[in-house]
Amino acid sequence: MGKKMKLSGTAAVAQAVKAADVDVICSYPIRPYTATMIELARMVATGELDAEFVHGEGEHAQLSVVLGASAAGARVFTGTSGVGFTYAMEVYSPISGEFHPVQCMVGNRTLDPPGDFGSEHTEAMTGRDQGWIMGWAESSQEAFDNTLMYYRIGEDPRVMLPQFPCQDGYFITHIPDLVELPEAGQVESFLPPFNPKFSLDPARPVIMGPQCRADQGAAIELGRTNAMKRARSVIPEIVRDFSLKFGRQYDPFVEKYKTEDADFIFVGQGAHARTAKSFVDAARAAGQKVGVARLRFMRPFPNDDLAQAVGHAKVVGIMENSNSFGSVLDSGPVTIETRAALYDLDKRPKVLTFMEGLGGEVVRLNDFAWMYKIMKEAAGLRNPNQKVFWVGFDTGAIQEA
Amino acid sequence: MATKGLTEITVWYRGITEGKISRDIVNSLAKAAEKEGCYTQAFDNYGDLPDRVYVPCRSYARISDSPIAEPYLYENDHPAIVAVVEPTMVKGVPVIKGIRPGAVLVVNTDKTPEELLQHLQDTDLSDLAAIATIRAGGGVLEGALSGIEGATDVSGMGSGAAGPIAGAIAKISGIVELGSLEAVVIDPSGVRRGYEQVKVHWLGAAGYNPGPAPHQEERALGEEVPAIIPSPVGENDGMITGNWRFLRPVINQEKCTQCRVCDIYCPDACITADPAGFKINLKYCKGCGICWTECPVKGAIAPVPELDFVGGVVRF
Repeated sequence: MGKKMKLSGTAAVAQAVKAADVDVICSYPIRPYTATMIELARMVATGELDAEFVHGEGEHAQLSVVLGASAAGARVFTGTSGVGFTYAMEVYSPISGEFHPVQCMVGNRTLDPPGDFGSEHTEAMTGRDQGWIMGWAESSQEAFDNTLMYYRIGEDPRVMLPQFPCQDGYFITHIPDLVELPEAGQVESFLPPFNPKFSLDPARPVIMGPQCRADQGAAIELGRTNAMKRARSVIPEIVRDFSLKFGRQYDPFVEKYKTEDADFIFVGQGAHARTAKSFVDAARAAGQKVGVARLRFMRPFPNDDLAQAVGHAKVVGIMENSNSFGSVLDSGPVTIETRAALYDLDKRPKVLTFMEGLGGEVVRLNDFAWMYKIMKEAAGLRNPNQKVFWVGFDTGAIQEA
Repeated sequence: MATKGLTEITVWYRGITEGKISRDIVNSLAKAAEKEGCYTQAFDNYGDLPDRVYVPCRSYARISDSPIAEPYLYENDHPAIVAVVEPTMVKGVPVIKGIRPGAVLVVNTDKTPEELLQHLQDTDLSDLAAIATIRAGGGVLEGALSGIEGATDVSGMGSGAAGPIAGAIAKISGIVELGSLEAVVIDPSGVRRGYEQVKVHWLGAAGYNPGPAPHQEERALGEEVPAIIPSPVGENDGMITGNWRFLRPVINQEKCTQCRVCDIYCPDACITADPAGFKINLKYCKGCGICWTECPVKGAIAPVPELDFVGGVVRF
């Protein structure tokens, strides 16, 4: 077994980036992800890690630098948070469209306003349609593991897509948690060197991301769609291999925590899912049939796995940690995707949404008790008059519509 | 394993200069408890960071006999142990607000517990079992810089003032064994010194035996708050900075020539140039020292330790 130590999510990712032996890193500071770059800068300065460390003059520059470096055949790493994520928006589509498996970690931070440093997933969700692999960790260990798994998934010749491994700001980025570091040879056996089919080489000229006519556009877009579809079958294969080599078990797409016989299932991702599991443990001890289905990927969205995991439940309660103003039911992306994923089932669970943890607010055990109470009441109704609830703002009184 | 359920430890420190000391205290206590089979966490208060020089900030340790059910909180709910690295904060900051019944307060100071109690006269002490003091050294003006927010800095853990303060906490609370603490720091003699030299003033019956923490409070329902609000224009009661101060500027009106250099240099506009005698706004004066450094008249403004005054600091 590898050495175990307490590391924040940001420090854990720095260790994973080192283990992945990246070639080029581009930094720009923004809370809460910054410590990853502080750690990496230290490693490069002391010779612990042999990599080019470039300071970008902003997030747009960061993503542009790693785009170029990846095109030249380097394994690259960058990262950002909050408004930094949205500032770089223009560059995300060229990176995926040209099939550069760039890795850009996201330490989630609320967009302005409210201008606090708290975590919600909204900023990263604005990038969910950019052709990047995306998902959330619920612990420092999973953040470490995801960094390695995402490189392997992204660099797989069948996929060749960039990745956003996300972690909740503060909750994961800042609170140290136990991480098992790899033993010598473990990472090498899992993650082969990056060896792209095409790279920028004067002896073998290629055009990456050619300008084309409108009638040629759809065919090029189909490429990313198919790569993402192939990722659906590549991911389970790679997660299985990771479990084999590192001894830590992960459900590829959806962690099913006591869902098998559950009548009531929380669906969510990231840090709050861990508190949800604590609630489930206590509720199970009191005889309640409740579980948690935790999404490990948002892109590709695991529609079949999720439908299979929660289809039998009476009520699904979505822990919605991001906002999509004016969307269906005035909810957020997890609601939109989950409702769509369940639509084709012959018998669908009722779906409620809990807007929780927005602005980085803590979600406590008694908040989960409140959500659970509403889920149980909804089970007895044919069509509840309210389906989206703001934790801490709504009374939660429901009736037949 | 000395904890029953979850024990929360809160350490107050002055930003930047005492950050390393504070992190070492919570990290060493958590690590020692881990050796004894406990589940632990040690982390900084996110809202206090990024810290600024002399700002009151908090670090936390959480020690439990079972897995910690809510690992992702911003603050301790009800600490049973509170430590203060720079003693002026006892006066300027409500350090024992929200403590668990039977909690103990450990302060790094040259003063006695009885002297510190003078500054707590208007504070409700009913939940406090003891106030203890330890002369651990360190000092807010000579701290080791360690500003790595979000990363884990456990290098050289417990080499300075952190050791004696952690040792004092171990002695008064028994939350960890002296031996476990000695085993995780690089200077066991410092830990032992704190363990042996702590002075304890029990407010009631002697002995650390905290009562149960209050139940999690029900949320009060919130409502929409506008993102555009009136500016406070004058003094901002939401950002009182007087408790950053541990040295108070005192003007000798006889020597003061009313040249206004202090008024011009004060970064917080805290000096009122009243011809009847210049005044300092203690609600916002951070004790930064620019006025007494820039004053051209020797002895016209003098820095005096804030703890020499009883009263005069507005709590936030």
